[in-house]
Amino acid sequence: MITGAGETPLAFGPGAMAVVTLYLLSMVGIGWLARKRRQSDNLDDFYLAGRSMGFGVLFLTLYATQYSGNTLFGYTGTAYRIGFQWTVSILFMFSIIVGYLLFAPRLVVLSRKLSFITPGDYISNRFRSPVLTLLSTIVMIYALANYTLAQLKAMGAAVEGLTDGAVSSAHGIVALAIIMVVYETLGGMRSVAWTDVIQGVVLLTGFGVLLFIVPPLGGGLSAAVEQIGRIDPTKVGAPSLEVCNTWISYILLLGCGAAIYPQAIQRLYAGRSVRVLKRSLMVMAFMPLTTTLIALVCGVVGIVALPDLGGASTDQVLPRLCALIMSGSTAGYWLVVVVFAAALAALMSTADSALLSMSSMFTRDIYHAHLRPHSSEAELTRVGKISSWIVVAILVVIAVGTDKSLIRLLELKFEVLIQIVPCFFLGLYWKRLPAGAVLMGMIAGLVTALGLTWTGHARVAGFHAGVVGLAVNFALCCLGAASSGRSDSIAERPPSSGAGWSALSAQVGE
Amino acid sequence: MEEDPFEEIVLEPRKKPVVWVVYVLLFAVAVPWYWPTGYSGHAVMGLPLWVAVTVAAVILLALWTTFVITHYWRDSGDEEGGE
Repeated sequence: MITGAGETPLAFGPGAMAVVTLYLLSMVGIGWLARKRRQSDNLDDFYLAGRSMGFGVLFLTLYATQYSGNTLFGYTGTAYRIGFQWTVSILFMFSIIVGYLLFAPRLVVLSRKLSFITPGDYISNRFRSPVLTLLSTIVMIYALANYTLAQLKAMGAAVEGLTDGAVSSAHGIVALAIIMVVYETLGGMRSVAWTDVIQGVVLLTGFGVLLFIVPPLGGGLSAAVEQIGRIDPTKVGAPSLEVCNTWISYILLLGCGAAIYPQAIQRLYAGRSVRVLKRSLMVMAFMPLTTTLIALVCGVVGIVALPDLGGASTDQVLPRLCALIMSGSTAGYWLVVVVFAAALAALMSTADSALLSMSSMFTRDIYHAHLRPHSSEAELTRVGKISSWIVVAILVVIAVGTDKSLIRLLELKFEVLIQIVPCFFLGLYWKRLPAGAVLMGMIAGLVTALGLTWTGHARVAGFHAGVVGLAVNFALCCLGAASSGRSDSIAERPPSSGAGWSALSAQVGE
Repeated sequence: MEEDPFEEIVLEPRKKPVVWVVYVLLFAVAVPWYWPTGYSGHAVMGLPLWVAVTVAAVILLALWTTFVITHYWRDSGDEEGGE
C-alpha cells in the first residue's frame, strides 16, 4: 500500500476507479480498431504500421515511448535524493535527439529503400555477419527485457497504490500485462502507436497538472529552494568537477544508448516520410523542458513537503505528494486521477513498444534468420504474436519475484545497449569499417562494461562503466578499420536475400 | 557506375562542422563545470542561478536543433516541396 505523509492512504474511490478502468479498456478497443485497419498480413504492416505514420502519431508515439514510468517515479525520486544535481536529466533526455542526428538521416533512407523491419536488418545488410547480427540482437533483446521488467514492476506498484492494497502488485502486473499484450497482438505497431497517441496526450496533461499542483505543497518553488538551501545546501549548490564528469557520462550514455533503442529505430522506419520524421524530432527537442524539468521540480519540492522519506521509499515521493493533494480538495482528488492515468500511460506505452520490438527481433532476426528461413509472412506474423505472449509471461513471472531500484535497472540496460552504437554511428558513414572489428569491439565493450559493474566499479572517475566500455569499443573499431587495408570486404560477401544491398552497401560512407 | 544509396540526401548535419561546434559550445555552457562547487547564486524564477543557466542552455540547444533540422538536413523531397 502506498501512503502519504502522516500515513494518508492514496486510494481512489469508485468513480476514479471507473475512469481508470474505462481508460484501460479503451486501449483494448483501440487495438481492435487497429486490427480492422490492417492492410495486409505481413511483418511490414504488423511491426511498422505499413510505414504510414503521420506527424501527430509519430511525434506522440516517440514521446510516449521515450518518457517512461521511470521519468515520473524514478526521476522524481532521484531529484528528491540529490536535489538540483539531477538537472542533468533535462540535458541527457535532450541529448537523445542529438544522437538521432548522428545517424538517422542515412538510416531512414536505407530503411525505406531496403524495407528494414528491425535494427538487425540494417546490421545484417551492412556487415553481412550472422554472428554480429545475432549478438547485437541478443544484446538488444536483453536490454529491452530488462527495461520492460522495470516498467512491469512499476505498474504493479501503481495499481497497489491506486487500490489501497486491495489489488496486490502481482495481480496488477498480470492484469495490465494481459491488457497490453491483447491490444498489441490485435493490431501490432498500429495499436501501439494509436494507444501511444492517447497515452502521450494523457502524459503531457499529467505533467502540466503536476507543474501547477505540486509547488504549492512546498510553499512555492522559490520558498522551497530557499529552505533546502538552509537544510542541505549540497542539494541546491553547483556540482563538483567529478559530478560534472558524471553529467558528461550521462549525456553520452543516453545520447548514444537511447537513440538506438530498437523501438525508437523502428519508429524512424515507420514514418510516412522523412519530412514527418524531421518535424517530430524538432518538437521532441523541446520535450525535456515540459517533462523532465517538471519531474525535477516535483522531486525538489518533495524534499520540503515530505522531509522524512529514506531509502527505497524515495521513489514513492510522487505518489506521496499526490496523497497530500488528494486529501486537500475534490479538485485535487481528480487532478491526481489524471496524474495516475498519466503514470499508467507512461508505463504501458514504454512497455508495449519494447515488447513489440522484442517480438519483431525474435521473429525476424532469430526465427526467420536461423530457424525457418523459408517461412511465409503470415507464419512470421503469427510467430510474432505468439512470441509476444511468451515474452510477457516470462517477464511477468520475473517481475513478480524480483526487487531492484528502477534507476539501477535503467543504467544496466544502457551499459550493454550502448555497445551496439558503432554499428550505426560508424557503420553508416565509414565504408572501411569491417564486421570483425565491430564484433571484437562489441565483445570488448561488453566485457569491460559488465566486468567493471560486477566488480563494484560502476563508475570510473565519474564515468559510467558502459561509457568506458564504449571507448574501448570505438578504439578497437578504429584499429580494425585502420588495419583492414582495403575499403571493404563487401565484394567478397556471399549473396543475400537483401536484393540490391551489395551495390548499395558498397557505397555506404565515403 | 554504382548507384549511390544516399543520393536523395542533399545535406546532412553530420557533414557540417559548424553544427557540432555549436553543439559542443552549448553543451559546455549547459554542464555546470565552471561554477564553484556548492555555489547556488541568486534565484531566477525560483531556480538557483546555475540551474537557470543550464535550463537556458537547453532551450538554446532545442532551438539550435530546430534550425539544424530545418537547414542542414535536406533531401530531394524538401527540394521538390512534397512529403
